[in-house]
Amino acid sequence: MHIPDGYLGPITCAFFYLIMIPIWYKSILELKKLDPRKLPLLGVLTAFAFLVMMFNLPVPDGTTAHMVGGTLIAILMDNPWIATIAISIVLVIQAIFFGDGGITCIGANCFNMGVVLPFVGYYVYKFLRKYVGDIIASGIGAYVGIVTAAICAGFEFGLQPFIEPGYCPYPFTVSVPAMAFAHLVTAGPAAAVVTAVVVWYVKKVRPDLFGSEDKQQHVSGVTA
Amino acid sequence: MNWQDPLVKKFVYLIVAMIILCPLGILLVWNYGDAWGEWDPSELAKEVGAQKVSGMLHLADIWSYAPLPDYDIPGWDDPLHASIGYIISAIVGVALCVGAYYILVKIVNPKPM
Repeated sequence: MHIPDGYLGPITCAFFYLIMIPIWYKSILELKKLDPRKLPLLGVLTAFAFLVMMFNLPVPDGTTAHMVGGTLIAILMDNPWIATIAISIVLVIQAIFFGDGGITCIGANCFNMGVVLPFVGYYVYKFLRKYVGDIIASGIGAYVGIVTAAICAGFEFGLQPFIEPGYCPYPFTVSVPAMAFAHLVTAGPAAAVVTAVVVWYVKKVRPDLFGSEDKQQHVSGVTA
Repeated sequence: MNWQDPLVKKFVYLIVAMIILCPLGILLVWNYGDAWGEWDPSELAKEVGAQKVSGMLHLADIWSYAPLPDYDIPGWDDPLHASIGYIISAIVGVALCVGAYYILVKIVNPKPM
């Protein structure tokens, strides 16, 4: 999902940089308020996100896709803005040092993978955890989050022939199904399983990270 | 920052394991194409015609200073060398991400409200 240099025209690139400036600002404010005891965990999760994106998985149409880890970070930090920071750090490093994702597309890539993905994933998780529990909800959240982000990237690719010809040559009738397919069948299931397993493990050893909602449910369950 | 937290330690072990196993991320897809929309622009130009991607061909090489392009040492193209290059890239990438994160945290200096 790392859009390379040249696939988005200058107007689209500038647009996403402009959108990201206030989002990055708000994320930094959220980081300022974060419980300092969570900082080492966020550090290793940032490294985890970098590594998990190196595991390219085969898509049946002959391409590849990978998970991102944004929903997992949003859930474990209980704040999707914090995931925006971690994923943005990873994407900037990947663009500058590894040529993965364009320099001109950092705004768009951070928007897709660092904003859409963790926010959709986190709020799907938040909504579903009451009904299916934290672990299943985290898996479904991660799945919906990455597929939504991929569809967003597909739209950005697919708008180019209409607004800035000369960049991505394929319209969204081609790009959206292609991006959605790769993430529905490969990266999405991987993200769901990995996120659910990590959430299951972390919940077992550090139930305190999952907030008071659970305890209240537990207490009310006992008294009822 | 307390890096001795037991959960953080577990993640450190996981990160080490992922670095060792990361070549799977290229070997499993060795005969596969690129991810959708991440093709080499010159090859795409051959497929759709250069004038359809004229802007792309100008913009594509705007950043050619990545020291480890595509997570590899340039020229290490066979599976064994590419795997070693991939592991080196994983180590460098983890160090850069944690370093950048550490600097950001030092600047932002989070305090509980």
